[in-house]
Amino acid sequence: MRILLVEDDSLVSDAISRGLVGSGYVVDAVPDAESVAARLADSHYDLAIVDLGLPGEDGLSLVRKLRRSGSSLPLLIVTARDGLDDRINALDLGADDYLVKPFALPELAARCRALIRRATAAAANEIAIGKLRIDLAGRRALNEKGEVLELTRREWSILECLAHHSGRVVSKERLTQAITGWSEDISGNAIEVHVSRLRSKLGSSATVRGIRGLGYRLEDG
Amino acid sequence: MVETRRPASVHGRLLSYLLIPLFLLLVAGVAVDHHVIVTPIHNAFDHSLSRSALAIVARIRPGMDGIPEVALPQHPPPPLRAMSDEHFFYRVSLPDGRTIAGMPDLPLAPDSGSEDGFSYTNLTYRDNTFRLTSYRTSETGEPLVVTVAETPARRDRAVHRLDVAFLINDTVQMVLVLVIALVGIRIALRPLQRLSRQLARRPPQALTRLPTQDVPSEVLPLVESLNNLLGRVRDSVLSQQHFMANAAHQLRTPLTGLKAQLEVLARESAGGPLQERIALLHGGVDRLAHTANQLLTLARAEPSAHRSSHFALIELPKLIGEVIDSSLDRAIAHGIDLGADSHPAQVNGVYWLLHELLGNLMDNAIRHTPAGGNITVRCGVDRGHPFLEVDDSGSGIPPEERAKVRERFYRGSGSQTDGCGLGLAIVDEVARVHNARLSILDGSAGHGTRMRIDFPAIS
Repeated sequence: MRILLVEDDSLVSDAISRGLVGSGYVVDAVPDAESVAARLADSHYDLAIVDLGLPGEDGLSLVRKLRRSGSSLPLLIVTARDGLDDRINALDLGADDYLVKPFALPELAARCRALIRRATAAAANEIAIGKLRIDLAGRRALNEKGEVLELTRREWSILECLAHHSGRVVSKERLTQAITGWSEDISGNAIEVHVSRLRSKLGSSATVRGIRGLGYRLEDG
Repeated sequence: MVETRRPASVHGRLLSYLLIPLFLLLVAGVAVDHHVIVTPIHNAFDHSLSRSALAIVARIRPGMDGIPEVALPQHPPPPLRAMSDEHFFYRVSLPDGRTIAGMPDLPLAPDSGSEDGFSYTNLTYRDNTFRLTSYRTSETGEPLVVTVAETPARRDRAVHRLDVAFLINDTVQMVLVLVIALVGIRIALRPLQRLSRQLARRPPQALTRLPTQDVPSEVLPLVESLNNLLGRVRDSVLSQQHFMANAAHQLRTPLTGLKAQLEVLARESAGGPLQERIALLHGGVDRLAHTANQLLTLARAEPSAHRSSHFALIELPKLIGEVIDSSLDRAIAHGIDLGADSHPAQVNGVYWLLHELLGNLMDNAIRHTPAGGNITVRCGVDRGHPFLEVDDSGSGIPPEERAKVRERFYRGSGSQTDGCGLGLAIVDEVARVHNARLSILDGSAGHGTRMRIDFPAIS
């Protein structure tokens, strides 16, 4: 996995590069937006990390330019500005995620992992969470031993919905919408029953954590 | 406590400035009226008195032995009749002082030498005040003096009645003038009231100019000064925001670098002799980063920094979902059961500020709740007022410390954790921006803390 880092501060750039290399990525760092085009022409990247406050052309305009040129490269914005306007702007222009400085390296690595996973999933129609593999096209899930899990239609819908938002809390209402049509009416208790059956079928390959009063979150093993 | 006296209102001042001169004018007016009317009245009554004297003269006949006789009927004719509360006396005398008819002791008016022969005077006779006229005539042949006297009750009554009428009239006029003046002042002051209403209705963050059209020329300088002031405040707010943005960038970027470098260093030197010191450094940089962040947030939470365009309708359950989402890993790492109890509720607010508010409350709750404890975030509407609550089963805050914990940089007596003491100051500040109130209550489990934000009702 290859990451392009656009960051002008050498202290930050050096540390992020080292950190991500330590997590197994190949990182190319450039100090300004102007050098990005040449790098993208040269090699394939799975993700770009872009600092908003760049000298010369700033990060927002780089994001805009990349999206206008039709690039689907996953973009993670890092910035020292934490205003909501900046955040909305960046996401509206086509950035995929947003991280405010100062952040911890593990947090950055986790966001990179999630973005790359999302992009790969979209391409391969497959989501991997921990040892669990979810084949979206085949509508099946495989555990750590490669066995296909026997899931009911509703259990599959719940797992699919959770997997699309893995690492995030999915509300009960959203899960209810995912498993029912307009005509059907289903109680919150029914969701609990389906989730607990799904849990036992997942075994140790992945965990569905219940969050009191909110919903569920799919986590690595 | 020093009692401050409010300066008198413009109304009150105008009233007191008007009232005294108007009162003096009233007194002077009545006095002038009195003087103007008293002479004609006296003349009229004197004239009628003189008619009485002439009526007596008409009844004088030349008598025997050269002494004239006065033939008055048993009942004197109307001009000679005295009313029940009046006294009327007459005397007909010769120039040598002999009395022919009437009261012999009635004094005479000294001769004024007037052409018509009448002389008038005021005097006291038989313990009463009298108006008296002596008519010196020779109509009947012999020179005679006919003196008539009456108590001035009737003329006094007439003057008194007129005085009262003038007083009432003038007073009514003055009161009318006063009322008209006050109504006029009220109407004239309307632009000022409109201005003050306009100012009162503006949200605290509105720094736009006040409209100057429809402002009367007297009020215009005030409005322009206010606009000048607003402009200066706006400039300083903008430059402060600009400064904050720069400061944020200049502080956060090197802190990110330091933090990340130390994390890399820690990983590279794992198991080595420097590991412990790197961990200490890392802790210090983390604290520094946290404090810088909190300071920046606090500065940006200042009410003056928010334009009304930043406010939007915010769903509290959604906010709770997002904050829990981002705090869940930390809660799980601390062994805390974090959950929500959300009921539909909306507030008019600044999203990122409310996010900071709830994030800080959550942060505090996680810091002060031991493993195995639980934290519940609630929202809903209580008697029309939306509320937000973070309820933990932690160590709690003693009642005597509850007021102090809102102060900047205050750290509770039992706090061993690495907070910078700005969390609740931020919460308090954000609550103020939203006209909301922060209450620190006992946790609903009987221990721990329940932080509650009560928002104003949404209109």
